[in-house]
Amino acid sequence: MDFIILVFSSFSLLADPVNFTYVILGFVIGTIFAAIPGLTATLAMALLLPLTYTLSVETALMACASIYMAGMCGGSITATTINIPGAPSSMMTALDGYPMQQQGKGALALGHAALGSMFGGAVGALLLIALAPFVAELSLYVKTTGKFSLLAFALIVVVIAQRGRIPQAGLAACIGLMLATVGLDAMEPITRFTYGYSSLTAGIDLMPVIIGTFAIAEVLTQASARTDITAAAAAAGKVKIRRRDFLPPWSDIRKIGFGCYFKSCLIGYFVGTLPGAGGSMGSFLAYTETVRTSTEPETFGKGNPKGIAASESANNAVCGGAMVPMLTFGIPGDPITAIMLGVLVINGIQPGPQLMTDQAGLIAPMLAALLFSAVVLIPLTLWLIGPYFIKIVSVRKDVLYAVIALLAVVGSYVATYSTFQMFMALAMGVLAFYLRRNGFPVITMLLGYILGPNLEEFLRRSLALSNGDPTTFFTNPDSLFFVALTLVFVYFLVIRTPAKKPAVVNSKS
Amino acid sequence: MLLNRQLVFLYVTLAVSVGYLVTALSLGAPIADNGLTPAFFPILVGCAAIVFCSILIVQALRVPPEAAPQTDIANEERSYTHVWVVVAIFFYIVAFRTLGYFLSSGLFVFALILLFSKFEKLILKAVISAAIVGVAFVMFQQLFGVRLPTLWG
Repeated sequence: MDFIILVFSSFSLLADPVNFTYVILGFVIGTIFAAIPGLTATLAMALLLPLTYTLSVETALMACASIYMAGMCGGSITATTINIPGAPSSMMTALDGYPMQQQGKGALALGHAALGSMFGGAVGALLLIALAPFVAELSLYVKTTGKFSLLAFALIVVVIAQRGRIPQAGLAACIGLMLATVGLDAMEPITRFTYGYSSLTAGIDLMPVIIGTFAIAEVLTQASARTDITAAAAAAGKVKIRRRDFLPPWSDIRKIGFGCYFKSCLIGYFVGTLPGAGGSMGSFLAYTETVRTSTEPETFGKGNPKGIAASESANNAVCGGAMVPMLTFGIPGDPITAIMLGVLVINGIQPGPQLMTDQAGLIAPMLAALLFSAVVLIPLTLWLIGPYFIKIVSVRKDVLYAVIALLAVVGSYVATYSTFQMFMALAMGVLAFYLRRNGFPVITMLLGYILGPNLEEFLRRSLALSNGDPTTFFTNPDSLFFVALTLVFVYFLVIRTPAKKPAVVNSKS
Repeated sequence: MLLNRQLVFLYVTLAVSVGYLVTALSLGAPIADNGLTPAFFPILVGCAAIVFCSILIVQALRVPPEAAPQTDIANEERSYTHVWVVVAIFFYIVAFRTLGYFLSSGLFVFALILLFSKFEKLILKAVISAAIVGVAFVMFQQLFGVRLPTLWG
């Protein structure tokens, strides 16, 4: 209860001009990046990561929270108006949003998307605020062996969640783990895989890994693809939107039903708590569930606002869900929370159960900003600048990618004032580019890199405590719980035949 | 077909994984005195990487050529712009301290704008590059207090 009061009292921090400016700026940047096809809020956050050095931790985390929320809803703008999802999580929104646009109801579709995002974001944030302290308290019962099993569970789930490309995900995770082993060993004074380079003794820094993986790899991908957005820009130029058209009529909202909104929020939230699942899976599952339970499933994919509501409620609720494992166990749920974890680590804060009690004052403002972004900034942004957002797609790509490359390379210099980190960011960018190009999920590499050091340390500590007895992982109740949970996920995601996609999803995908 | 873009990538990854495993083995015995040594985890990871690589290589080799997905590059003109972007970033980093932020960044941004667009309106693009570099300098140095290398110290 104390934590909930702390979060709500943290709203007063938003009255501070500096905090307020960064939250607004973060939201606008997140929306712009999410709206431009090819760019994501993850990229925005990766580019802004070096700048968090100069901000207070609270301000940096508040800005991150608003970018995150904006990134989840911003993708619906181009998904609806020109049928190009600005972010992968808005893929399902396009299925009904674009047909509505073709019927001349594009603004209404955007209104439904904003309402769904607002609802999803708010429910996700409230659930996070309410449940995170309990999860943190529970996590205190997880001892060394349990911690190893939990991290192994997270890594295995993120690999098997990549259905159809599990070997690729496994290999990417191994590459991440390999990167994590470079440098000084955590338990003994031995350097590994440095090959004589003293710069590698401290290991590979998180900053160049994030900047390279998300920013430089994105620039290389765009350079390789040379996507022609002339047609999209031309289509965007033709779209005329008036503010009053955004407001969804009450009859539509009643027809969608609060049950649909709430169910989608819950799906999104719980999918978010799974490592690596992300907004795309959340919106997909919520959409398919809505189609499955609908009395008129044939209307989906033809401009049914219920589809937009389900998709957007779920993907924004993911924001709250994904933060639970990140804050309580230090396990990021998706790339954005991985970068948020980076902000914490860079500032010397170790996520874990103690974070919610000892340093709750740092976390509470972030959750307040998350809720504020959902409830206030999503509708306000749509109302104020919604009619102009669609023009974003017309931005010059040559200038855009030159700016991104400059910010990425100089940003990697900022951390240590060392050109070595710039080279490292380039190397990571090239690696991530080739991984993406060959169908490898980069998120599993990132999670392998982030979880690797703790995974190894807890494995070695567990076996040291049990005198080398590996059955310790099955005899300790906390560890056994996560082993059983891993087996359950393996059964449902790998062994059991996946449920068929609804016809509408199949035909569109 | 023993060589295509994906297979080459997998062969390189396999070679790196084998190199990693060999280095891990050179760290010493994986288990000593009923405990794990610094070599254990890397050996485990190296073995797992080799297994995954082998599975992917076998999968790729078993796909008949006619069933292999047609890549965009196979159908369209090959684009090497990304290679030039990597080269530009490399030389930018090399020149960053020697030439200072302004000159190196100006040339870098100008080069990237040219790589992402057509070779025309060079003066306009040079002006845009200068403006970007100036704005980024203000943002980094003045707004966020980051010291960037300049020719005047």
